Amino acid sequence: MKFDFSYTIDAMPRLLEGAAMTVQVTLIGFLLSLTLATVITVSKTTLQSRLLDGVVAVYVSFIRGTPILVQIFLVYYVLPLVGIDIGPIAAGITAITLNSAAYVIEILRGGLAAIPKGQFEAARSLGVPTLPLWRKVILPQVFIIAIPPLVNEFTQVLKSTPLLATITVVELMRVSQQIFSRNYHPVEVLTGAFVLYFLICFVVSRASIRLERHFALRRV
Amino acid sequence: MGLDFTIFIDYGPRILQGFLLTVQIVAGAVAIGLPLGVLLATGRQSSLPPVRLLCTIVIEVVRNTPFMIQVFLLYYVLPFYGLRMPANLVGVLGLALFGSVYYAEVIRGGIDAIPRGQLESARAIGMSKWQAMRNIVLPQTLPIILPPLGNQTLSLVKESAILSTITVQEMTMTALRVQGETFRPFEAFIMIALLYWAFNETIAMALRSYERKLKREGAEAEAVAPGVGARLLAAVQGRAAR
Repeated sequence: MKFDFSYTIDAMPRLLEGAAMTVQVTLIGFLLSLTLATVITVSKTTLQSRLLDGVVAVYVSFIRGTPILVQIFLVYYVLPLVGIDIGPIAAGITAITLNSAAYVIEILRGGLAAIPKGQFEAARSLGVPTLPLWRKVILPQVFIIAIPPLVNEFTQVLKSTPLLATITVVELMRVSQQIFSRNYHPVEVLTGAFVLYFLICFVVSRASIRLERHFALRRV
Repeated sequence: MGLDFTIFIDYGPRILQGFLLTVQIVAGAVAIGLPLGVLLATGRQSSLPPVRLLCTIVIEVVRNTPFMIQVFLLYYVLPFYGLRMPANLVGVLGLALFGSVYYAEVIRGGIDAIPRGQLESARAIGMSKWQAMRNIVLPQTLPIILPPLGNQTLSLVKESAILSTITVQEMTMTALRVQGETFRPFEAFIMIALLYWAFNETIAMALRSYERKLKREGAEAEAVAPGVGARLLAAVQGRAAR
């Protein structure tokens, strides 16, 4: 057999549609996970509750200790059993969010460690309330410090989306499976998808450097 | 929805068999991936531009694509060029290739932690580059990179679940089957989740205590010879990819 490029070209329009879905799922999942992780981090630091810390520690350890594929299956197959039937896309995004949040919590913890304690004390002595303190002083700094690991986490989320094909979400991976199960040219079609994944990931990883530079200028 | 504990007893042995295959596959992937990682890491610093370029391309491509599509591509590409092999073997090879790239990054970090002067001195007393690497640099690198290498291997255990999509009968595939036969997804998946978790946590704990010991030693070295300890610490802290 010979590699026949025309199959890659023919598949491209549909692959691009799949890629659009992949990017959407990634963006939604990442933004939700960023929000969830931020809320958890802020609550942990403000409340200083042993119980909350314990729960979060177990959650993070479970997520980091089990394969994301198994987490996806757990959410997808188990939610309907407890009466929550939200369909594959929402279930997939939920699983990805819960997974990524555990990693983002760790990233934010690292970023927070770089903020001098004196800033909290200074804010308190000036009478700055908790929410504005986080929103205007602490979080912007944490996010800027955490740009490189956060961008890396974004690509991790992106690279975990093909797993959603296993629960019938029609994203790039699933689309390519659909195409080659019909034309029997898996190598050509998968190569097309492979290149698309690479391009998206590569561009995003490179964007990290630009983002850092952008914010580094502002900080001076 | 009550828990059906009989599933744990009835299907436990099958799940454990799947777990055994998971461990075997990862062991195979480490056995191939580690030497490949050393090759990639040294190749990336080679003085020959084509070798350097090739290694950089391999590393960047594997790092910037999802493991699942790598496995699929490998699964279909090999027969395309007349290489028929069982799914298990494809799985081991795919996992080895995936792991080697991350191993290479860890190894490179470890090599960078050894002061360049040592390599230069070794070259000056007449060792070849490879001899200096093998006898001077790599032996010192090994203890520092052990924790990140271990973490990387744990991530391979997790990635190996993806091999279920190319019909490898490892633990996740077994759970999918059990789920299909019993219609009890929660029991099937929580069983394997707990096994993965226990396995990962046990090894991670051992790695963490070793890491703490290294950090103590690094801090002591930093007190004696500033600069050396800092590099050691940086290498130890160099986080492995997921």
